[in-house]
Amino acid sequence: MINLYYAYQPIIDFFLLSVGFGYSQQIALRAGVFSIATAGFAAIGAYAVAILVTKTGFPIVGAVVLGMVIAGGAGLVLSLPLARLRGAFQAIATLAFVQIVISLLLFAEDFTGGALGITGIPRVVNTGVLIFIVAFVMYVMWSIGRTGLGRIFDALRQEESVAASLGVNIGRYHAFAFILSGAIGGLFGGLQSLYVFQIEPHNFGFAFMVNVLTVVILGGRTTLLGPIMGAAIMAILPELARPLAEYRPAVNGVILILVITFLPNGVGDEIVFWFRRRRHAAAAANRVKVKEAKNAVTSS
Amino acid sequence: MPSLHLEGVSKHFGGLKAVDGITMAVPPGEITGLIGPNGAGKSTVVNLISGVLSLTHGDIRLGGASISTDRADIVARQGVSRTFQNIRLLPEATVLENVMIGFHRREQSGLMANLFGLRAALREQREFRDRAHALLERFGLDEYAEFEAGNLAYGHQRRVEMARAIASEPAIVLLDEPVAGMNDVESDELATIFRELANSGMGLLLIEHNVGFVTRLCKQVYVLDSGRMIAAGDPHEVTRDPKVVAAYIGTSKH
Amino acid sequence: MLSQQILNGLVTGSVYALFSLGFTLIFGVQKLLNFAHGATFMAGAFIAYYCTISGMPFLLAIGLSMVATGVIGIVVDLVAFRPLRKRGNAEFPALVSSIGVDLVLISIAQQVSKTQVLNFPFGTFPVKFFNFLGLRISLLQIVILATVAVLVVLLIFYLKKTSFGRQVRAVATNERAAALLGVNVQSVFLQTFFIAGALAGLAGVLIGLLFNSMQFLMGEPYMLRAFVVVVIGGLGSVPGAIVASLMLGVMQSLTVAYLPSGLTDAIIFTLLFIVLLIRPNGLFGDANAVAGGTRQ
Ligand SMILES: Nc1ncnc2c1ncn2[C@@H]1O[C@H](COP(=O)(O)OP(=O)(O)OP(=O)(O)O)[C@@H](O)[C@H]1O
Ligand SMILES: [Mg+2]
Repeated sequence: MINLYYAYQPIIDFFLLSVGFGYSQQIALRAGVFSIATAGFAAIGAYAVAILVTKTGFPIVGAVVLGMVIAGGAGLVLSLPLARLRGAFQAIATLAFVQIVISLLLFAEDFTGGALGITGIPRVVNTGVLIFIVAFVMYVMWSIGRTGLGRIFDALRQEESVAASLGVNIGRYHAFAFILSGAIGGLFGGLQSLYVFQIEPHNFGFAFMVNVLTVVILGGRTTLLGPIMGAAIMAILPELARPLAEYRPAVNGVILILVITFLPNGVGDEIVFWFRRRRHAAAAANRVKVKEAKNAVTSS
Repeated sequence: MPSLHLEGVSKHFGGLKAVDGITMAVPPGEITGLIGPNGAGKSTVVNLISGVLSLTHGDIRLGGASISTDRADIVARQGVSRTFQNIRLLPEATVLENVMIGFHRREQSGLMANLFGLRAALREQREFRDRAHALLERFGLDEYAEFEAGNLAYGHQRRVEMARAIASEPAIVLLDEPVAGMNDVESDELATIFRELANSGMGLLLIEHNVGFVTRLCKQVYVLDSGRMIAAGDPHEVTRDPKVVAAYIGTSKH
Repeated sequence: MLSQQILNGLVTGSVYALFSLGFTLIFGVQKLLNFAHGATFMAGAFIAYYCTISGMPFLLAIGLSMVATGVIGIVVDLVAFRPLRKRGNAEFPALVSSIGVDLVLISIAQQVSKTQVLNFPFGTFPVKFFNFLGLRISLLQIVILATVAVLVVLLIFYLKKTSFGRQVRAVATNERAAALLGVNVQSVFLQTFFIAGALAGLAGVLIGLLFNSMQFLMGEPYMLRAFVVVVIGGLGSVPGAIVASLMLGVMQSLTVAYLPSGLTDAIIFTLLFIVLLIRPNGLFGDANAVAGGTRQ
């Protein structure tokens, strides 16, 4: 058991980080925002922590919290101008945001080390820490799902005009979604810094964006299980498809196309929906039975 | 409860005067009718009141305060609710969830309570859930509570939309052809609910093509034709008005 | 010096135009973002390279590569877009599935090239320079400018004057109405994808020649540039894309020359961001395209 853990530890840690970034991506998509800004938020969090810890000797926990706050603030700032944009334009604007972050990281060499990035970050994050923080984020996502906030996000995704007609301030809730996406992305960016020892701008480029998006598309955009399933598939797949290792991006690409075409809700969401439907069908059948019993009693 | 007043309201789409200087009132505790042939501008009036479209001229006031430049959500929060002519539900959500979102205006719990699942937020949700079930029962929908709204029959979808619109107990409800496509039994059931709502003090604006239905329910009826108000008053008199008859016959294809 | 920078910028900008035209054309007719466009561009360069080193005459290699990338465009439509269009709101799913195609193409190219940087063999294109009014211009640059100009004129003629062009514009304005009028919408889509793919492929070859270096990720920066171009020019607008491409090319060459290195991308993408906010329909598009005047 212990040996098994050591053998698979890197995969487990990769899985946990992916789940975290997945929730950052998921919360935006759930609220109907076509944001691909998670890479930018992660970069902000990662660099904030790396700079604070290596250059100022800031306490590590404080640095992680501050990184999360800065990334959440970036989400808020980003949400204000984006309030007027929808769909493809939102996607492009958030993509531009990521590019701006990356190019500034490359430019501000004195702080960020430019293309070489920052090395010598203390490696203090381990599997236990990751599990603890993933659990915390899951609790928040679960709470959102069972309170009014999740319902509003779902409404914004499905039919904005309805939400507005019921008094939902669209800009405000899109801003909440961006702040949450930013804070979660920044939090896990910071954790990644403290896990990998070394970061560079290139870590948060197009490939990062595609990976995060894949996690949520594979897993699902609305349920707690979504990013977990997505990240699990992404983590296990290379192990299963060893012979195809060289073509890994192609395998990912084919999976993306197949899932978005044939299982548009994602594997995790579909599983949850299936159970939900079964439960409801059972409840409905039960109601019919109760009614029949009642009728039988009254007619006799 | 406040009443709703439109004064000299116009809406131009380019050269088309979809609504042309109309004045009307939706008082509390009554059902007010708005009729007119296809394309007369009725839905545009609803969109103007509910803040979806901006006015070209005129003013809309709710209990004395102007709402004519308020955004849709701000209008809604002041107690003006609506349904859509082409039904708009949250298709992936359950019927119950569709109604529960109608309580948004009454939500008290803050962001933190939502994020961390604090008791205040959960208690509020339980209360909304109970009230939503009660509403569904009133509309004869309780057995569909857990169905995906998008899979319901058309008539049921309309009723879900209405339950959602009245959930937060708004002062004014705008109903854009709420009984379209329903049979007599179903529309009579809804008529009863409309009367009950009016009796509880709500002001209803009822848009409907079935003149008989309007005549039975409304105290006051307004008639639109090509954006202009061609008649207003007691439904029995208005429907005998030659101008109204001409407007209907003139556009009737039968 | 300044005019030399502007000239170089115009040459790069004209290739951007070739690349961005297809992208904006697809958005115009389908309202969908094709993220596989960058990989199509890369495929164009790769196919021309492998044809050339296997001994094919260069012009034939270019022609073959354009046909092949046109076919890639069609495959993108059939595999990634068409099944999703049937389902209704395809905006986001199509973005995802075109990223899928992008990954497949890049992965194949990576394996084929063994992650190497490729160069066209010496002499593929004659190296010749002209001095002209104090400017130094290469034969290649002249050929690129001329080729792009001819193709752009042809494309505009095609869109404005032929019956196919009328169909494209009908679909772009209102797909449903066009279908009712008897336009074969699917075939319009296929043709635009073919044209878009072929233009991207040619752009890939030209860039490969201009910088004499090609690698499997070369499409990515051009893809990102295309976003800038189409937003500034107005998503879906052909003339807008041309003007914006040339502007971007010149701007880029000036910022590289006169500003601290590394700031170019920050400036370009900040510009994109600002334009999106102030005029989401582009500098040359209709500022108030939303009909009816909704309340904000
Ligand atoms: N957003 C818009 N842009 C342009 N014209 C519009 C718009 N909305 C409505 N119109 C036009 O305004 C006129 C009035 O339309 P409206 O939908 O208000 O009529 P209606 O009385 O509700 O008709 P119906 O009984 O068919 O529902 C019509 O000619 C319609 O084409
Ligand atoms: Mg109408």
